[in-house]
Amino acid sequence: MTHSDSPPIFAHDANNVLEKIGQEKLLKMLRQMLLIRQFELRAEASYQQGKIGGFLHLYIGEEAIQTAAVEVLGPNNWYSATYRCHAITLLLGESPESMMAELFGKKSGNAQGRGGSMHMYSKRLLGGFGIVAGQLPVATGAAFTCKYLNKKDELSVCFFGDGAMAQGVFHESLNLASMWGLPCLYVIENNKWSMGTPLKRTLANYDQFPHKFAESYGARYIRLDGMDLTNCYAGFQEAKKHVLSEQKPMVIECLTDRFRGHSVSDPGLYRTKEELAKCMEQDPLLVCKQYLEKKNWLTDEKYKEMERECREQIIKAVKYADEAPWPDPKELESGVLAPPLKV
Amino acid sequence: MARSQGIRKRCFSSPTKGVNMQKVEMREAIRQAIDEEMAADERVFILGEEVGYYNGPYKITKGLLDKWGPKRVIDTPICEASFAGLAIGAALTGLRPIVEFMSFNFSLLAFDQIISNAVKMHYMSGERFSVPVVFRGPNGAAAQVSCQHSHAVEGAYSLFPGITIMTPSNPYDAKGMLKSALRYNNPVLFLESELLYNDTMEIPTEEYTIPIGKADIKRAGKDVTLICHARTVKTCLEAAQELQSQGVSVEVLDLRTIKPLDIQTIAQSIRKTHFAVLVEEGHIFAGISSEVCFRIQETCFDYLDAPVGRVCQRETPMPYSKVLEQETLPNPRRVVAQVKQTMNV
Repeated sequence: MTHSDSPPIFAHDANNVLEKIGQEKLLKMLRQMLLIRQFELRAEASYQQGKIGGFLHLYIGEEAIQTAAVEVLGPNNWYSATYRCHAITLLLGESPESMMAELFGKKSGNAQGRGGSMHMYSKRLLGGFGIVAGQLPVATGAAFTCKYLNKKDELSVCFFGDGAMAQGVFHESLNLASMWGLPCLYVIENNKWSMGTPLKRTLANYDQFPHKFAESYGARYIRLDGMDLTNCYAGFQEAKKHVLSEQKPMVIECLTDRFRGHSVSDPGLYRTKEELAKCMEQDPLLVCKQYLEKKNWLTDEKYKEMERECREQIIKAVKYADEAPWPDPKELESGVLAPPLKV
Repeated sequence: MARSQGIRKRCFSSPTKGVNMQKVEMREAIRQAIDEEMAADERVFILGEEVGYYNGPYKITKGLLDKWGPKRVIDTPICEASFAGLAIGAALTGLRPIVEFMSFNFSLLAFDQIISNAVKMHYMSGERFSVPVVFRGPNGAAAQVSCQHSHAVEGAYSLFPGITIMTPSNPYDAKGMLKSALRYNNPVLFLESELLYNDTMEIPTEEYTIPIGKADIKRAGKDVTLICHARTVKTCLEAAQELQSQGVSVEVLDLRTIKPLDIQTIAQSIRKTHFAVLVEEGHIFAGISSEVCFRIQETCFDYLDAPVGRVCQRETPMPYSKVLEQETLPNPRRVVAQVKQTMNV
């Protein structure tokens, strides 16, 4: 989709990055991506069995972005994400059991069965947010807190889709963050579709848009290959350095593809099978696997073993969720208001 | 209900004798509450349009920038959705923001942020996060500011579980209620009235708070209860004076907190007077009166000697012409007429 005059992908030397990360950490990240993939596949199957209701937006195809982001930036930051929030929740340390239980609407779920697929949390994850772009001002506020409390080693990381760029608060948030010098990293996960509408029908000058947009607010911009873990890793490293040392916001655009519909109920009739198959050739898990095999750090056998282990872990989580107790309807109305702070 | 306002010092329900008093305008009372809470807690800050260098569009924040500096008294651009959302994000991550809306009509731009991200957050997150933020500013009509600047928003916001709505009617209440709101651990809409900002009153110099969720009898009477809030308390007190001269003893009950509603105090009054007329500045359809009336018939139906009456804003956007504006708002004449009709006197 990129034009010849569109911004280039952030330059990096993959081999150099691989060497810097090292085999151990790369295998850990690959395992995280496999776990996310297995979680999403099992959630999809459970949805089809009628165990999960409502909306279910899957991160399949986009795994490299948040995996690299959390690895590079570290857990000790504020995070916020879209309703496509399972991966970030897992990466920030929440258990597959509690997350699957949330999808099943159970009491021991991540949000006590009140949030569901779109609203998951961790100590540092302010949520999956259900309204497109709704998290942008909130993430900007988290960056405000970092500055207010003079925490120079913390930042706010905000994930959102390309569809959010047409919303007013995208503009407002970047204006405030730039003007007030807030350490906020705005990460556009550009999967090229606002639900079923392509970017070129939602944004004027769409291919130049994020780049020119960031520039006009005085924020640095880089574009990453969201299917390539090493490129994401290098890009987020650069971003971390920039945001923390300059105490300024930055915009990262990750080009990616989702391999499923907008949500599980979307058959994706707006793109051809051939288009989708072409996207899937760039599967971030396979890209990563090939890198590692080339370095002789991974065999196909080892990959399959890791995949099987992750699958088994998620199957256990599904079983747990299935057997976990429902919320007690007697507790329906509790927890609407927060108790007083302990002074 | 498990709730406490975290009151640190004295708590009065109305001005008390035997303490040192000061005569202040409503705007000064509000400013004192903000200033005292900023002094008590470094996490408290205020942001909004013109709150800093301009000293506040209605001078509520006069002098606060000089005293506390630009870190804690923050001028924003005109972007309600994002500065309200920013405050919510700051509240989620450990600060205690005050958002000033120049008018609550402008809060409609931030409606999604307030509802989706503040009001629902504690429940939706499985009680992982709380949102201690106060949204305050003038609400309802001022003087002929026309269709888009005159809306009383409490009815629209009150639909959402998780919201707390407070509407002071005098300087004493404003200060004590705002201090409780600023110590609360949930989002509060604190709805002021531009036309009350100049009102003066003697209030204690000593620190005090007024708890959330407590109505107040502003005038005791035995024949009929007028239930009102914010500026309509003044309207009702005037109407009560007029009715007194006609031999009707009126009790004026100020809700003070709209949500949660103090139905006990309401029921107590109606069990005594047996007649109720509800007065509010908001529109008649699905307004606060609708809810109060429903709760009255649930709670004390047998004590009512007549159907509950109400005086609300009529079903038009606020017209500019002062002749029309006066007619659509509750005024003493309309209240007196409604009381007579309800009591059949």
